[in-house]
Order: sequence, then structure tokens, then C-alpha cells
Amino acid sequence: MSAAIIFGILLALMLTGMPISISLGLTVLTFLFTMTQVPLESIALKLFTGIEKFEIMAIPFFIIAGNFLTHGGVARRMINFATSLVGHWYGGLALSGVVACALFAAVSGSSPATVVAIGSILLPGMLKAGFPKSFGAGVITTSGALGILIPPSIVMVMYSVATNTSVGALFMAGVIPGAVLASMLGLLTWYRAKKFDYPRQPKASWKERFRTFRESSWGLMLIIVVMGGIYTGIFTPTEAAAMSAVYSCFVAVFIYKDMRLKDVPKVLLNSANMSAMLLYIITNAVMFSFILANENIPQDLTNWLLDKGLGPIAFLLAVNVLLLMTGNFMEPSSIMLIFAPILFPVAIRLGIDPIHFGVMMTVNMEIGMCHPPVGLNLYVASGITKMGITELTIAVWPWLLAMIVFLIMVTYWPPLSIWLPKLLGMM
Amino acid sequence: MKFLNHLEEWFITFLMGGATLVIFVAVAHRYIAGWPIPVLQDWLLTLNFGWAQELCIIMFVWMAKFGAAYGVRTGIHVGVDVLINQMERSTRGKFIVFGLFAGALFTSIVAVLGGSFVWDNGMHYAVFHAIGLDTGTLPEGPTTPDLEWPTWIVYSAVPLGSSLMCFRFLQVMVSFIRSGELPHHDHGHVDGVEETGQVSTEEKRLEVRAVLQGDAQQDEKSTKSKEDAR
Repeated sequence: MSAAIIFGILLALMLTGMPISISLGLTVLTFLFTMTQVPLESIALKLFTGIEKFEIMAIPFFIIAGNFLTHGGVARRMINFATSLVGHWYGGLALSGVVACALFAAVSGSSPATVVAIGSILLPGMLKAGFPKSFGAGVITTSGALGILIPPSIVMVMYSVATNTSVGALFMAGVIPGAVLASMLGLLTWYRAKKFDYPRQPKASWKERFRTFRESSWGLMLIIVVMGGIYTGIFTPTEAAAMSAVYSCFVAVFIYKDMRLKDVPKVLLNSANMSAMLLYIITNAVMFSFILANENIPQDLTNWLLDKGLGPIAFLLAVNVLLLMTGNFMEPSSIMLIFAPILFPVAIRLGIDPIHFGVMMTVNMEIGMCHPPVGLNLYVASGITKMGITELTIAVWPWLLAMIVFLIMVTYWPPLSIWLPKLLGMM
Repeated sequence: MKFLNHLEEWFITFLMGGATLVIFVAVAHRYIAGWPIPVLQDWLLTLNFGWAQELCIIMFVWMAKFGAAYGVRTGIHVGVDVLINQMERSTRGKFIVFGLFAGALFTSIVAVLGGSFVWDNGMHYAVFHAIGLDTGTLPEGPTTPDLEWPTWIVYSAVPLGSSLMCFRFLQVMVSFIRSGELPHHDHGHVDGVEETGQVSTEEKRLEVRAVLQGDAQQDEKSTKSKEDAR
């Protein structure tokens, strides 16, 4: 009963369009003042201790690291490298769009920024080369979402915060699925380009490839710093994030020279803005899940579902549908923070691996970014291509379909995600 | 007011950069102190960075509380706006005012709750002690484990930040009622790419609303007035 009331209040408040963090907080307060005996003190304490975990501090650091490298110059280097690598195949520029998006998204950590950066540089070139606009827009919109899956990923840190799973293992688990999804999108692009006979680029020499690789490698090293640092145990995940922040600042200012030293405070301020917003959602989501746990809602839900004879297969299907639906209306971090604490106990009771479950949820977030009515990627892509949302939705659907197929693979074939971290002994 | 804005921006930028440097120096110290360089190693081993994590957390918590207030001013706190974006302009306006008011209400409650918590956990004692009043049986309040700072000072980020945030919500509300303009954050902004006639996400969303309502005429008008404004 209290579950229905809590979620009813939350839904009603959210639909008025107030910030999600505020609606979470007000739900907690309303429930607290009217319906429960939980001492106010314990909630007040949560206000202070909610984000006092060193693990959570990885989020601002990753945001700083990403913001320093979210720059047109970095995007151009990655596009050059990708084009020299795959440009001579069918659909050359579109294929290099997929690769460049995967690389840039991993480094910058922001899907919409990837769509804008890669899209506004690559799309004019594609149009000039003779690609239809819808083809280019479809590729960039979907590939831009790859960043959520390829580490370092902030959404994965959110999952680990909400469920106490290892960030390192999650990151490692994202590597193979990320590569597989990128290949699937690439393969589809190649197939469609071959079918419609889209242009190819001249083949680049190995010298050219090496040159462009060297240029983009400074940015790509960020992934190595994070993953290598965590895997070898040199850094904890948060320290690795701090190192990558310092590293990317160094690269942006002294090696790439995309920005001057006096631009650094501006980047820091923007990162602070973004991180504070996410940390504010975390604080309120922590209070919210405290209330839920206090009312025994996750346990009741688990028991109820198990009584109904729900097996893992049906449960995972239901979770996917639920997350895809909420992905329509909310942004990834909030979905993670609200749903992970509720769904996680059920998943554990059904014997689903926590890491596998995390990767699956992350893939859902990724798809939610690029499907209508409110995928953020669609909006920014519509901004740079000047195509309407409906038109863009039609352009996107072949790749979206590939993503859904990929989601089914991830959902029902756990080794895809947990094989690598198991092999490396991280779980 | 300008002064407050700059102070706020300067403060969170400093906390952000500071926390990064603290962790960087602590990690660097941990590894460099392992190198057998005669004098340097001896000196490094006398330094203790055990407090770095705690300082980083404190700096980020302060950054988060004041940054959240800054975020209200820049419009980065987003909500679920699908439903209200379908509504008539005036109804939508009412919901937006309600949302902003709810924000102010929540942050003010948090400020009061947090304030009384801080007062009871050491501030009361500290203030009375400082001005020489009888502290009686008042608790002195706990201190943080590594830095041994009084926790009430650390925790005062919550009431202070929340009050500022409440003020910002009211400020945005007043300016929305006056001008009908909301601050909005552009998630797709990237430096160093040509922005020829890029349409912001916010405008796109409103455009969708117009299309859904079949209200193309009004849309045309609004884009035209926007172009004029530019």
C-alpha cells in the first residue's frame, strides 16, 4: 500500500515538470510528515552523509576529464583517424562516423555532446560526398549513444553507487559489449551502404594511418589511464578518475593546445555545474531509497514477484520493457538511481549476476537516448541536421532496431558481459 | 547581486580544481615516495596524505551544495516536461511556476532541517563558548576522523547551500513571471565546432509541441520573433 502511495506522489510531482531531484525530495518529505514514524533525525543525517562516499567522487572527476576533451579539435582528430582506418570500405565516411563516435563518446562521456561534435564536423562532408542526409543523421544519432557503455561511464558509476557493485568490474564488463555494439552498427552501415552503393574514400597509406593515430592517441590514452590504472591496482576507481582529469587537462592545454590556460576555470565551472546537478539527484535518490528500504518495499516486491512464479527470463523482459518506457521521459542517471535499488534485490534473488544486470540496464539507457519522443540525442541531432523529429525517427530506425537486437543478446547471454571481468579475476 | 554571482562561480570553480589537485598530489606522493632517491625520499616520507580523501570529499560536498544553487541559475536541473509541454502556453506557465515554487519550498525545508541539525551538533556549543556564555550540558559535537575538524562546520554546507538554492529558485520564479523566460542549459554544446544556425534543445522541444498541436502558425511566428531578437 505504502509503495503505491510513494510512487503515486512521485509520479504526480514528476509530471508537473519540476526537477527530478526536487520531486524525489518532496516525495520523501510528504511521506515522512504524514505517514510514517521514521525519526526526522535519521533523514536529516542522510542529507549530510548521502554523498559522503569516496566512490561517488569519481563522478565529478570523470566529468572534468570529459569536458576538457569535449572539443571540436579532439573530434576532428578522431574523425581523421577513423577515416584513415575504415574510410575505404563501403559507406566510408559513415563507417568512420561510427568509429569516431565510439572513440569520442568514450572519452567525452556525453552522448549529446558526441552527436553535436562528430555530427557537425562530419555531416557536411558526408553530404558533399553524396550521402543522403537521413543516412548520416541515423548513423551519428545512434552511434553517439555508445559512450554510455564504453568505459569510463558515469551511468555505470551511478549503478555501482546504487547497488554497491564494483566499478572496476562494471567498466571491464562494458568493454566487449561496447565493441560488439559498435561493430553491429558498423556492419549495418556497411551493408546498407553497399546496397545503395554509397561512395568510398581513397584508401589511406599506413603512414597516414600512423600519423592520425598518433594525433588522436593522446585523447584515447585517457581510456588506458582509467582502465589500466584500475586493473593493475595502481589506482582506485576514484583516483583513476582524478588522474584522468589531470591528464585530460594537460593534454587539452599543453599538447593539443585546443584551449588556453585561462579557459581552464571555465571548463571547471561547467563541470561543477553538471556534477552538482548529478550529485544533487544522488542525495535525494539516497533519501528516497532509504524510505523505500525502511518500508520494506524492495523486499515485498521481491516476494510478491517470486510468489507469482516469475522466472529470470520473464523478469528480465519486464525490466527491459519498463526501462525502455521510462527512457522515454527521464534521463539515464535518474532512471538508474530510482530503479536500480528496487530491481536489484529481485535480480539477486533470481540468481542474476549483478554485473550482468548493470550492463543490461546501461544498454537500456543507451537506447533510451535515441528513441522518440524525448531521446536527447534525437533532439540535438535534429538541431544540427535541421531535420524534424519525425523525419529523424524514420532515419534512425534501422540502427535502433540493431540496438534492440543487441539488447536481447546482452539480456539473455550473460557471458557477453561477464566473461572479460571473470577472466581478469575482477569478480 | 553581481558580486554574489561571481563569488558563487569562483567558489565552486576553486573547490573543483582544488579537490582534483589534492587527489593528484596524494597519489603522486604515494608513488614517488617509493622511489629510492636519497634526500627527496626522506622528506616525502615525513609527509602524510592520509587526510586527502576526506578533504576531497568535503570539498566536493561543498561544491555539490553550492553548485546545485548555481545550477538553478543556469537551468541545468531538468524534469519530465513531456506532459506540460503539450499544454497551452498559459497553463504551462502555471505549472512551471508551481515547479519552481516546489523547488523553493523543498530547499527551504532542507535548510531549516539542516540548520537545526548543525545547531544541535556542536554549533550551539561553539557559539556559546565563543561569546563566553555558560555551555552547560551542551554537546561539543563530533569531529571528522582524519582532519579532526568539527563536523558542524563541515555540515553547514547543507543549510548554507540550500538557502542559496532556495533564493535562486525564487529569483528564477520572479524573472519567469516577469519575462516568461527560463534559463536553460544546452547539453549539446561543444566548443570548437562551427555553430551555424544551431537550434537549442529547448527550442526544439517547444517546436515539437507546436507540431503535435498542429499549431504551425504560432510556431512560425515564434521563430520569426526569435530571429528578430537575434
